[in-house]
Amino acid sequence: MSEIIVHCDKVHHWFGSAGVLYDVNVRVARGNIVAVVGPSGCGKSTLLRAIVGTHPPRQGRIQMHAHGKPPYEVRRPGRDRGIVYQRYSLFPFLTARENVAIGLMLDETSIPFRLFRFLQWRRIRRRHLDAAAAFLERVGLEHAVKLYPHEMSGGMCQRVAVAQALIMKPQILLLDEPFGALDEAMREELQRMLLRLHAENRVAKKAGEPPPHTILIVTHELNEAIYVGDRVIGLSQYWNWAEKGHVACPGATVVYDEAAPVSDPDGPRDFEEFTKQRDRIRKAVFEPEYLQDREEFRRYWTACAAEAPHRE
Amino acid sequence: MIRRPINKRWRFGLGIASIVVLLLSYTWLSGRMKEENPNDTTIPSWSQLKDGVVRSLELGKRTEERWLAVDAVATGYRLFVGMFLGVSGAVVLGLMMGCFPRVEAVLSPPLTLFAKVPGTAALAVFFVMVGTDTEMYVAMVTFGVLPSMALSVHLAVRDVPDEMLNKAYTLGASHVEVIWNVIVRHIMPKLIDAVRLQIGPAMVYLIAAEMLVGDAGFGFRIRLQQKKLDMSVVYFYLALLAVFGFGMDYILKKLQRLLCPWFNPVRQ
Repeated sequence: MSEIIVHCDKVHHWFGSAGVLYDVNVRVARGNIVAVVGPSGCGKSTLLRAIVGTHPPRQGRIQMHAHGKPPYEVRRPGRDRGIVYQRYSLFPFLTARENVAIGLMLDETSIPFRLFRFLQWRRIRRRHLDAAAAFLERVGLEHAVKLYPHEMSGGMCQRVAVAQALIMKPQILLLDEPFGALDEAMREELQRMLLRLHAENRVAKKAGEPPPHTILIVTHELNEAIYVGDRVIGLSQYWNWAEKGHVACPGATVVYDEAAPVSDPDGPRDFEEFTKQRDRIRKAVFEPEYLQDREEFRRYWTACAAEAPHRE
Repeated sequence: MIRRPINKRWRFGLGIASIVVLLLSYTWLSGRMKEENPNDTTIPSWSQLKDGVVRSLELGKRTEERWLAVDAVATGYRLFVGMFLGVSGAVVLGLMMGCFPRVEAVLSPPLTLFAKVPGTAALAVFFVMVGTDTEMYVAMVTFGVLPSMALSVHLAVRDVPDEMLNKAYTLGASHVEVIWNVIVRHIMPKLIDAVRLQIGPAMVYLIAAEMLVGDAGFGFRIRLQQKKLDMSVVYFYLALLAVFGFGMDYILKKLQRLLCPWFNPVRQ
């Protein structure tokens, strides 16, 4: 059984009388790169904010299972969940390197330490900045260490934002439509960057170590979801809620949960496989006329369970 | 065409031309007044202005003090202490209001109300409550600056995107660190702009108060000389006030560029 990192347990959320999320149950395992898709306004970002802890669910709970710690309920943002937003992910008053290093500074030192043990703080600061520069090199931005966000392109900013989150080694990295404002070429470059993280997971698994990156990405691009994710979750308000006794749609729920083909970051895409899965997702998630049973396309864990004995 | 840019040479030349026209107009006006009344000092000639400057700088016959030194020390002290207290208070209150909705609910209505009261109109209140010593001028500047600046800081804090604060929390920041390392740094350029905008009103309150009850200071000297219709010292003092205001503005702009090299007002 995979190690669960996040467990959304019967999560409901509503704004006023409008139901947004209804009975959402999602388990994210360590090493998963989960893409969440769904029609506009279906609550993808609401679910992500609930996991971040800025907007806890009205009903149900979200549990984090940090390695070696008892599970705890998410009620506020925390150090174990990294986040990259579409905008405002970087601090405009810090350079790229300082932006990446700020997490280390906040995590490892306090204001009194920085004020009153200045010499020690300078030594630690140097180490943080070196680590940040190394991380920027990893995402191909070694030339941008001294640039401020307004001096960088949107794609560069998002790469810095990913580095800023990853340097903290979060239990899960949450990406809220991170490439939405980028052009196609830049978007592909960043998608390949996520695939490289997936490749690092595979290397770790082969070596018998826990995979270092668990990612949940919210996107409205189906191709992107299938390409970068090894699992796609579809949230939708188009399900058979009337048959379940509701007079109005109580909110979006998980109607699709299947594994996605894992692509090689530098290899070609398998467009045939993409098309098949895209058609299934379209039908299950985006088709207002197709009000299926919620369980019909939720096969991820069943498939995992079926695969497990074969592996053994 | 509207907003068509002009080159630097034109901009510089037109700026110089406007000042030359101003000086020439003054010279002509002063000459006209001298033709009507050779002893007129309401629009003094350049030589009369020079006399005024000399009188301000030389030792007074009765008091053995230089007017300018005495006035500059008195006005400068009142202005800087008043501004320091006003700005400090405004930053603390503005930050608290921007960060904590309960503090905002309590402080926002009275501060909005006080910000609407013209500082010069409240002079009488300060005379009665604090007397006419240095404390009165300091209080006047402090409470003249504080409400409107606190509201500016409050708005600047509210403009900090929520995403940025959440991001800081996910990086392990405490509440104090979010305020100090994110909010304060983010609003710093707007804070400096707010101080720049408050220097003018602070000087208005102070000079007005000195004109009414002062025994030293720029306002006091201007009132004294204006009673004698001797404008040579008055114009010199006005020029000094303008240079001071311009200098402070320039220093703060430089400070903003130094402390906030990331700030790009055009993009903001």
